[in-house]
Amino acid sequence: MFIKFFETLREKGLNVTLGEWLDLQKALEMGLIESSLTQFYYVARMILVKSETDYDKFDMAFEECFKATQRETEVGAEMLRWLDKSDMLELAHEEARDHLNKMEEAQIDKEDVEQKFKDRLKDQDSEHNGGSFWIGTMGKTSFGNMGGNVGGVRVGGATGYQSAFSVVGARRFRDFRDDRVLDNRQFQLAFRKLRQFSSKLDIPETELDINSTVDKTCNNGGCLQIVMQKPRKNAVKLLLLMDSGGTMIPFSALLNDLFQAVHKSNHYKDVKTYYFHNCIYSHVYKTPECDYGDWVETEWMFRNLDSDYKVIIVGDAAMAPEELWSKDGNYRGPNDGLTGYEWLSLIKKKYKKVVWLNPKMAPGHAPWREAETAIKEMFPMFKLTVDGLNRAMTKLMTNK
Amino acid sequence: MNNEFSSTQEYVASEELMASVNIAIALKKPLLIKGEPGTGKTMLAEAVAKALSKKLIIWNIKSTTKAQDGLYVYDTIQRLYDGQFGEEGVDDIARYIKLGKLGEAFDSDEQVVLLIDEIDKADLEFPNDLLWELDQMEFYINETKRTVKAKHRPIVIITSNAEKELPDAFLRRCIFHYIEFPSRELMEEIVKVHHPNVEQNLLQNAMDVFYAIRGIRDIRKKPSTSELIDWVNALQIGGISADRIKEALPFIGVVVKKDEDLELAKHETY
Repeated sequence: MFIKFFETLREKGLNVTLGEWLDLQKALEMGLIESSLTQFYYVARMILVKSETDYDKFDMAFEECFKATQRETEVGAEMLRWLDKSDMLELAHEEARDHLNKMEEAQIDKEDVEQKFKDRLKDQDSEHNGGSFWIGTMGKTSFGNMGGNVGGVRVGGATGYQSAFSVVGARRFRDFRDDRVLDNRQFQLAFRKLRQFSSKLDIPETELDINSTVDKTCNNGGCLQIVMQKPRKNAVKLLLLMDSGGTMIPFSALLNDLFQAVHKSNHYKDVKTYYFHNCIYSHVYKTPECDYGDWVETEWMFRNLDSDYKVIIVGDAAMAPEELWSKDGNYRGPNDGLTGYEWLSLIKKKYKKVVWLNPKMAPGHAPWREAETAIKEMFPMFKLTVDGLNRAMTKLMTNK
Repeated sequence: MNNEFSSTQEYVASEELMASVNIAIALKKPLLIKGEPGTGKTMLAEAVAKALSKKLIIWNIKSTTKAQDGLYVYDTIQRLYDGQFGEEGVDDIARYIKLGKLGEAFDSDEQVVLLIDEIDKADLEFPNDLLWELDQMEFYINETKRTVKAKHRPIVIITSNAEKELPDAFLRRCIFHYIEFPSRELMEEIVKVHHPNVEQNLLQNAMDVFYAIRGIRDIRKKPSTSELIDWVNALQIGGISADRIKEALPFIGVVVKKDEDLELAKHETY
């Protein structure tokens, strides 16, 4: 059953490593789980899952594997109340210690205990304390709370956990999933990935490295010895091209957030933003309104923004096929005799790193979306979600 | 001595959180705490130290902090000065080795609670630089050829505001807990811990407004638990009557810190 849980977790996309899995086994061995499914849920989660964005995946895997065991092990709230006798704890400890000594060598058959526990869970209808048959406190049966028996089933405890399944069922962590469409702060965090601190870049050593200078000088017996270093600066330049066509209107709030996030992330060497309508032709616009004349030539952009700019194109790529392949351009302006597809190819040729972010990208292969499929082949396309944006940023930073 | 952590008089912990702390102690692994600002991540370490009656060592991480700072610092400048003035003991490098917070925790004669606060503020590589030290609980001082080994494995609690992602290799070694924003019931309990004599009506109205503000969609900065506690305090000191809270929003600046949010809050809560 546990191996299956491990496999299900990995199936759901959780990157559980063997080391973490062994830690969980260790926790089980040490008896930290106290035979409660709910406790097991929390302990497994805290050991195996390392980000709240993955809680939801964990919940789903957990539900899949342990749903079947729920009925049998659920302990009624009423019973937990009978067992909650924390004020008598001290007394129970005394008694338990005596009893433990006697029981130390006794063999306990786990299955047998569990079976009896389930049977009695069904039959018991009142509170029992100190007896030796029913589930109760300070008794000598194998189950219950503060009992003297070793190796039995412990029911609840001073705390009384919330049922694992009421937690799982509510799916409270759905909002943290990293494949949901994102908000401003998460945008900003993703953009922080675009950093290339440049002490490794090819620039002159212009800064005084104080620490090394002090160290060298001291090692030199007090004779000053200066050490210079390259300044650490972010070398990333960003070119943002945003679609503000009609089909993008439902996403305007999202794009606004994205725009804000880029401009709040003031750690770039340079950021340039231009707009286009459905597809890029001979001109790109300076404002989202895409007014006639308020533009720069795309050629000018090529000349002035060198190939080191990292290009992010945001658009739904939902133009009609003729907008991509016709030489006549769209109604907003001329296209200088080249099709939209050719203009996009020019961008791909000019800039080393280009990604396309699409807020409504089709999952998987969607040949009926002709334009989207064609563009997907040209540029790496990512859905505009936390996960997609992160992957796009990684794409922009790596050489693969 | 009681070796289990539970809620204290000053700190209300959810059951999950208590379990995380106890598991981390039992498995001898660092506990990584994440959560919205103001959910009491830093206070947790204080509460744990107090509940287990152990000494708390706090290592505050800043953007310039390097892993080495936590282990030890070799005060070369002091040695240079001493050398120039011919002080005694310049030959003895050990005199100029100052243990950092991590070193202090290792070197302590009794088990301590070590809080590494806001680890995500440091450089991206920072957590990776600490892997060996947190795993083996020892480090080597090059200058004096001495190995500092933990006499008693400290209970390590690490907090993060999720400003940067932490490296996987580091995460694998931690027990992770995400502090959720407290539900209304828990919140009531928390406020009452800080202000035991708060008037029920006042608290209810303040919480109504507080959760309403948090619920506004476009809010820039969501108010946090600590801000609510401060606000309730302000309301009490100011002697504001409970029924005026909703209409006048007195001292709302304690809860809402941005101009745009203030406009929104006034607009939305009517």
